[in-house]
Amino acid sequence: MLKVENIDVYYGKVQALYDVCFEVGENEIVSIIGSNGAGKSTLMKTIMGVNKPAKGTIEFNGEQIGSVKTNLIVGKRLVYIPEGREVFPKMSVKDNLVMGAYSRKYSSAEMNRKLEEMFEIYPRLKERQSQLAGSMSGGEQQMLAIARGLMSEPKMVMYDEPSLGLSPLIVDEMFETIVKVKQTMKIPVVIVEQNAFMAMSISDRTYILENGHMKGSGASKELMDSPEIKKAYLGG
Amino acid sequence: MAQTVLQLIIGGLAMGFIYALVSIEYTIIWNASGLLNFSHERLILLGAYLFGAQFVVRNGISNPIAVVLMLICTFFIGVLISYVLMRPLRNLPLVFSVTGTIMLGRIITEGVRLIWGNNPIPLVGWLEGTIKAGELVINRTYIIIIIVAAVLVAALQIFLNKTKVGTAMRCVSQNKKAAAFMGIDVDRSSAITMGISAVICGIIGILIIPLFQLKGDMTGMIGIKGFAAGVVGGFGYIPGGIVGGILIGVLESLSTLVVPGIYKDIVSFILLIVFLLVRPSGILGHKA
Ligand SMILES: Nc1ncnc2c1ncn2[C@@H]1O[C@H](COP(=O)(O)OP(=O)(O)O)[C@@H](O)[C@H]1O
Ligand SMILES: [Mg+2]
Repeated sequence: MLKVENIDVYYGKVQALYDVCFEVGENEIVSIIGSNGAGKSTLMKTIMGVNKPAKGTIEFNGEQIGSVKTNLIVGKRLVYIPEGREVFPKMSVKDNLVMGAYSRKYSSAEMNRKLEEMFEIYPRLKERQSQLAGSMSGGEQQMLAIARGLMSEPKMVMYDEPSLGLSPLIVDEMFETIVKVKQTMKIPVVIVEQNAFMAMSISDRTYILENGHMKGSGASKELMDSPEIKKAYLGG
Repeated sequence: MAQTVLQLIIGGLAMGFIYALVSIEYTIIWNASGLLNFSHERLILLGAYLFGAQFVVRNGISNPIAVVLMLICTFFIGVLISYVLMRPLRNLPLVFSVTGTIMLGRIITEGVRLIWGNNPIPLVGWLEGTIKAGELVINRTYIIIIIVAAVLVAALQIFLNKTKVGTAMRCVSQNKKAAAFMGIDVDRSSAITMGISAVICGIIGILIIPLFQLKGDMTGMIGIKGFAAGVVGGFGYIPGGIVGGILIGVLESLSTLVVPGIYKDIVSFILLIVFLLVRPSGILGHKA
């Protein structure tokens, strides 16, 4: 579904990604773990066309997207749920959700059906639908950001640190719904996380990114048993 | 006396709506790009000259068609400015964009002088005349300004809140990063914003021709007064600019009852300073 091959990415003169390869199959959950500043978000934003790779190729659903503009990539129904939620603070919850479907041409009946689907996944959003997004709690904003992304019926979805800044209880719930959504939508999912344990326990495969280099990858189960990984990412 | 006051209020309202339009124009650019546009007085000038000096006087085109042509030209000039000037400046420190728009202003001023000359250009009959309501004699220009500005403000609100393009503009103003991830073309949205802003400038330009004539310094201080309107009403918030603009316009006009007319420009600056000191969030208290 997605194939990133040998990309280099720079911010000005500073290199952030070195010869990175990364692949996602038709129906799997893939996680990318790595410490703060490793380049995880840079990789996501490069796939989304925000940063342009200086070298290498990116292919999504059989098309080259390495030099395509962000809005057109979204039009190809690759959805990125950004780090830090990034809701539209002065719009209502419902209007935020409607914006999620900007790239689609839904009839109002389809739009309502889509909204109801989202409200089923996150009932709290239904209660809060006319509240301003900026006035909600961090957890609620994260739910909104996810639901907003799913409004466009993506062919693939990438979550960037969905657990950031949330209480442990909400984190569990968040990951449960991510898995549930994956199962109902039957689309590949990428999860970028510093919370390595959570990301690895729900994913099929895991990539490890450090200092802009892919340090390794493999089946999540096996990696979780490896002593090195345990020591470096799972706290013993 | 009552009549004089009423006339002053109507004149003040008209100027107030002009300041409100300037402030709205500041606001939508600020929201869309995080840039302050210091060339808009020149865009007002350009709009007035395109209409009056070029289309009406030189080409002999009828007024209504000249207005439409002017609106089309200013829209595309705005779009061009967005792609050529604003977009490259957006990622640089604010001082570059300020310098850039000031330079653009100078280029337009000199361009206008070069193309249409130094002397005032008479435009006979455009929006002039008086309207009688009983004893009251009102300048027709004021009434037209008030009606056009009010319609424009309402249309703009509907456009921003009810249309897909307008909604995209609001998204870009609230969160550029997220807007792109919704599939919004942020560059295009910013260009449309700049185009609309230039159109508003053009409309202001043709509205003030009967008040200040078609000449190089016709825009006077309406740029800075529009800015003051935003601060007084609440910067970065369209209703704030409207309230601030009308307040400044009316107070300024009424001030001529107590002080000589040449001092009336001081009113807006006093209000600006007082609000910056006492209530920087403006009358409507909106947090920018
Ligand atoms: N917009 C930017 N401009 C310059 N450097 C950046 C920018 N964004 C990220 N970086 C740098 O790139 C590196 C990777 O950052 P990032 O991709 O955000 O890491 P992660 O998401 O893994 O925490 C860091 O060293 C960071 O400082
Ligand atoms: Mg990150």
